[in-house]
Amino acid sequence: MIERYPFRERICHWTTGLAYLYCLATGLAFYSPYLFWLAVILGGGPSSRFWHPIIGLVFVMAAMWMHRIWRGDVRMGPGDREWLDKAKYYATNEDDKVPPAGKFNAGQKVFYWAMYYGAILLVFSGAVMWFPELMPGSLGWIRPLAIFLHEGAALITIGAFIIHVYMGVFMVPGSVDAMLHGFVTKDWARAHHRLWFHQKTGE
Amino acid sequence: MTNGWVDIKNTDMMLIMGGNPAENHPCGFKWAIEAKRNRNARMIVVDPRFTRTASTADMFVQIRAGADIAFLGGMIRYAIENNRIAREYVVNYTNAAFLVEQGFKTAEDGVFSGFNEANNTYDRSSWNYQGAKTSPAAMPESAKVDLTLEDPNCVYQQLKKHYSRYTPEMVEQITGIPRDQFLKAADLFTSIRKDGDMKKAATIIYAVGWTQHSFGTQIIRTAAMLQLLLGNIGRAGGGVNALRGHSNIQGATDIAGIFDNLPGYLKVPRVEDTNFDAWMKRITPVSSKPDAWQSFNYWSNTPKFAVSLLKSMYGAAAAKENHWAFDYLPKVDREYSWTHIFDDMYQGKIQGMLAFGMNAVAIGPNSQKNIDALKKAKFLVVCDIYPEETSDFWRAPGVTPEQTKAIQTEVYRLPGAGFAEKDGTFVNSARWLQWKWAAVPTPGDAMLDHAILARIFLSVRDLYRKEGGAFPDPILNLTWNYTIPGNPSLSEVAKELNGRDLATGQQLPGFAALKDDGTTSCGNWIWCGSWTEAGALTQRRDNSDPSGLGAHPNWAWSWPMNRRVLYNRASCDVSGKPWDASRPQIWWNEAQQKWAGNDVPDFKVDSPPKDHMGPFIMNAEGVGRIFAPLAAFADGPFPEFYEPTESPVENALHPKRSKNPVATRRRSDMDKFATTGDGFNIVCTTYRLTEHYHYWTKNNPMNVQLVPEPFVEIPMELAADLGIKGGDKVKVSSARSIYLAKAMVTHRIKPMNIGGKKVYQIGIPIHWGYRGIKEDEGLTPRTLVNSLSPAVTDPNAFTPEFKGFMVKLEKA
Amino acid sequence: MTGAAMSNGVLQIKAISGHAGPVPGRDTSRDYTVAKLIDVTTCIGCKACEVACLEWNGYPFRETTFDNTYQTMPDTAWNYYNLIRFNEHVAEDGTLSWLMRKDGCLHCADPGCLRACPADGAIVQYANGIVDFHQEHCIGCQYCVSGCPFNIPKFNAETKKVHKCTLCSDRVGAGLEPACIKACPTGCLHFGTKDDMKELAEKRAAQLREHTSHTSAGVYDPPGVGGTHVMYVLHDIEHPERYGGLPKNPAIPILVRIWKGPLKWLGNAAIIGGILGAAIHYLRFGPKKEGAHGD
Repeated sequence: MIERYPFRERICHWTTGLAYLYCLATGLAFYSPYLFWLAVILGGGPSSRFWHPIIGLVFVMAAMWMHRIWRGDVRMGPGDREWLDKAKYYATNEDDKVPPAGKFNAGQKVFYWAMYYGAILLVFSGAVMWFPELMPGSLGWIRPLAIFLHEGAALITIGAFIIHVYMGVFMVPGSVDAMLHGFVTKDWARAHHRLWFHQKTGE
Repeated sequence: MTNGWVDIKNTDMMLIMGGNPAENHPCGFKWAIEAKRNRNARMIVVDPRFTRTASTADMFVQIRAGADIAFLGGMIRYAIENNRIAREYVVNYTNAAFLVEQGFKTAEDGVFSGFNEANNTYDRSSWNYQGAKTSPAAMPESAKVDLTLEDPNCVYQQLKKHYSRYTPEMVEQITGIPRDQFLKAADLFTSIRKDGDMKKAATIIYAVGWTQHSFGTQIIRTAAMLQLLLGNIGRAGGGVNALRGHSNIQGATDIAGIFDNLPGYLKVPRVEDTNFDAWMKRITPVSSKPDAWQSFNYWSNTPKFAVSLLKSMYGAAAAKENHWAFDYLPKVDREYSWTHIFDDMYQGKIQGMLAFGMNAVAIGPNSQKNIDALKKAKFLVVCDIYPEETSDFWRAPGVTPEQTKAIQTEVYRLPGAGFAEKDGTFVNSARWLQWKWAAVPTPGDAMLDHAILARIFLSVRDLYRKEGGAFPDPILNLTWNYTIPGNPSLSEVAKELNGRDLATGQQLPGFAALKDDGTTSCGNWIWCGSWTEAGALTQRRDNSDPSGLGAHPNWAWSWPMNRRVLYNRASCDVSGKPWDASRPQIWWNEAQQKWAGNDVPDFKVDSPPKDHMGPFIMNAEGVGRIFAPLAAFADGPFPEFYEPTESPVENALHPKRSKNPVATRRRSDMDKFATTGDGFNIVCTTYRLTEHYHYWTKNNPMNVQLVPEPFVEIPMELAADLGIKGGDKVKVSSARSIYLAKAMVTHRIKPMNIGGKKVYQIGIPIHWGYRGIKEDEGLTPRTLVNSLSPAVTDPNAFTPEFKGFMVKLEKA
Repeated sequence: MTGAAMSNGVLQIKAISGHAGPVPGRDTSRDYTVAKLIDVTTCIGCKACEVACLEWNGYPFRETTFDNTYQTMPDTAWNYYNLIRFNEHVAEDGTLSWLMRKDGCLHCADPGCLRACPADGAIVQYANGIVDFHQEHCIGCQYCVSGCPFNIPKFNAETKKVHKCTLCSDRVGAGLEPACIKACPTGCLHFGTKDDMKELAEKRAAQLREHTSHTSAGVYDPPGVGGTHVMYVLHDIEHPERYGGLPKNPAIPILVRIWKGPLKWLGNAAIIGGILGAAIHYLRFGPKKEGAHGD
């Protein structure tokens, strides 16, 4: 077994993830009347409105922490371009046609950066929406703009999030286990992150 | 008001001047709006400031404060020159055709005939009609007339001559109103009489903006003359309409809130009235009319009113044998008006004061003098619902703790009742006596004001009983037959005021039933008929209006005898047919041989038109007075424009005689006056706001919220000159004192060109002082506006000149 | 128009904010909707409506400070729905007018606040035209503030609820006129059916054009928000902005409209498409196998 995610990384991931999930659920409640029941089961509209920005802040802070940990690993490298060019083979499970990946493959990196920039957009637009009453009247136009950006950014992260969950839970067995326990099998590592495997094991 | 609030809806034209009804009478102003909405009535607003009234007007004219007579005089000239007068009305219903004494001279040089330079008084014997006895001066019983109005001595020609000087150019020079704008306003107002048409009616609406001048009475007279010339008096939608400033100030006037009146406007006895008959002879007019005409001369009934009043006051103690207890009545030896009282107190002649229902210090003028006067008094009793400036005069700004200790005045503060805690009537501007019931009980130790007064009276009476005194009879014999002597019910008082037949004990049906033989009693003859055997007519609440003219005959009760429009005989032509058939008020019913209609005829009901009885039944002449003979007014039979006591320029009509020569100026070391050119070069006027009520509402958070702080309205240009921005603190100083407030810089007051001189006006709302919510929190400068105003009064009504005095303005 | 004729029983709901599925009573048709008419040309700025509004709604009087104007304060507040705006306007020829406009919610037929609100039942539009905020359902997000082209909804930072004029729905529902109408001394304020008020307004505007110098008088009932249930008669319909920022062609802000329109559908498509896509992908390709490379 190889240690893929030390304790610190797992904590960080799940903090970010759970915070995101809460914001997602409450955010979706505010997004559509058909999902307002989400807010109701999470404690009601007003409390959802109260916690959403606070948990959102937790999400962003955890994401910044995550960035400190992983920023080296998620930097786009020279091979990533090629990986992305061949991503369709990755999608069709023809992994032998896909260049080997490091700790994170380029698809994961794209996901990461989508979430990263999404989080920045969400936090700034969210700040305006948190205390819109503090916005001077002459800057009133910023309010709808913030809502617009917040929702747009949220939709981008939702798209990425759907793929992330699908990949982690369904498409790449062992991923959830890795994020829960921190370890992967050699086979898993070799199969999905061969460069990282080599680097880690020297094999 | 000659007419009434609701009647304003009938008008075609409004001249609102010397008043700001939208702000100070917002509920009544609805009728002006109704007239605009339903009749396309036009509204002209003439004011030193662009007010909230002006904001709804068709035409706004900015006038220099105090220049009103010049404007109205110019209007009279315009109406005459352009034949916009109601000829038939003027000839038959006014004294225009009466011939005036040969010796009469109008005030072309600033004074009328008979002026005595030495003591600034008039010998008024030449102010009379031809053919009169001169000693004692009285009007002739048979007046000579020239119905062609051609005789140079007839009133009309004299009037024409008098106002010929009030040309549009002169109006511009005095008032600051550009000639063209004046002509436009004059044309618009008089347009209702274009081509001799008598159907339309115009109203003139005013308030204390006219009265509060050293020539206030004469401004109102000018308006009345203009309305007579235009045939607007007595007409629905016409009249001269005073908007009274408090809910019951009309009632206070009716019941003799003035030293020279007794209830019902009976003239008070003077020292020279040695007995009842002499008094009656002096104050009961004899009719004075052309032989061919009739005059009802209703004041000829004065003895009936006077005897009934004395019977009401002294009961059995007033008998024929003792001349109806005439000796009990105080005799007036001098003037006891507001400024006189404080002057006397300041001079040490008055040693105590009971101040009920008013804030003596704040309502000024020259508040600092009033404060200093109270410091010299032995005692002061204040009955109010708030701690106010008067009861706290000893801690006015500038009084140090040491000085406070030195003040020996004993101050008693009595907790009175608010208006919502009392039953009783309010008499509104329309002369309606409207009964209202207490809404809430008095809080805490507070008592009804009249109960406090009753207890004071009973205690004083006990003292007289025990100790005798110089002249106890008037006190001991005063009628006091109330069920609870210490707290008379106001319905008992109201019934007493209406009066009763002493033989039958029945309430009197009206003042026609009053007698001078001691068989009737009546506390106020003009209110007789308000509480009859049929009950309290003041409590009627039927708002139906069969005529659609707003008469509402079964709503409350208006004096006299429920007449809604005074002098309504003048709403008909000489033959007794309404001038405007669409607004028929009353008319002559030939079949029944009497006057009838939608209003109670203000006339002798069975006097047929052919008898030519004059519609102005309260005048001995029976007609309206364009020329006011003899002692009617102290300052002249025709109003003449005089500069306010303090003014930026000399009088353009007669620079050597700038001011009203008979205006009363108080003279003490505290009465200082600015003269032209000594640096006080800004005209200042004072007024009230919608959001506040006098000096009360600074104690009410609601009103304080709406307008929280004192301010001064300053023209943009003046503010720019002085480097003042909106919200800056400013200091206003007059020759007497200073006032501190914040600046409200506005477009609504514009600089004026007065005879080539650039003159600025500023305006100050009066509502603040040194007690109130913000005052007590130390959030206002705690100065009083009336510290600035001068103690100069109108010679007829003794109203102080709160409008149009001179100040300096600087950044504080 | 009397109060009794207007109430006709309880208030019936037409639209509810943030509500999934059909709105109870949505298809109820009423013969009329109600409207308040503010004839600005007869407003005297007495502020009786301000006080009546406070007193009816039970709000406290507040601390204000002098601000070089007769206007009580700069803007309406969560507990001050009704504010007369005072504006001095000097025309090119030097003629001064002092414009006083009672500001407050206009009760749009197409309310931007309601469109923007995510909270189920926080904003309710009644079949009679009244747009009412129900604070017990308000989540305090203030989207309504962004949705309103008139800057009406105001936030109470303490309770985190948004408030605005209710057109006295509690009074109207009981057959009474709104409190401001009752207090107005000049008859500048009228209340009745929208049709009647519209007719009255048009007549008054025509009268002004014909008989006064206000030749551009007109009725403010802006179509951009579907018309309003509070209308103005203005001296000059061409320049509503002179009356303290009344917009000339108000509409729900474009961003709000995109947000609640195309963006919503795009988002729905993306989310549903993403989930469906993943499912189909799984069925088609299944999970990755380790050792696909054979090692």
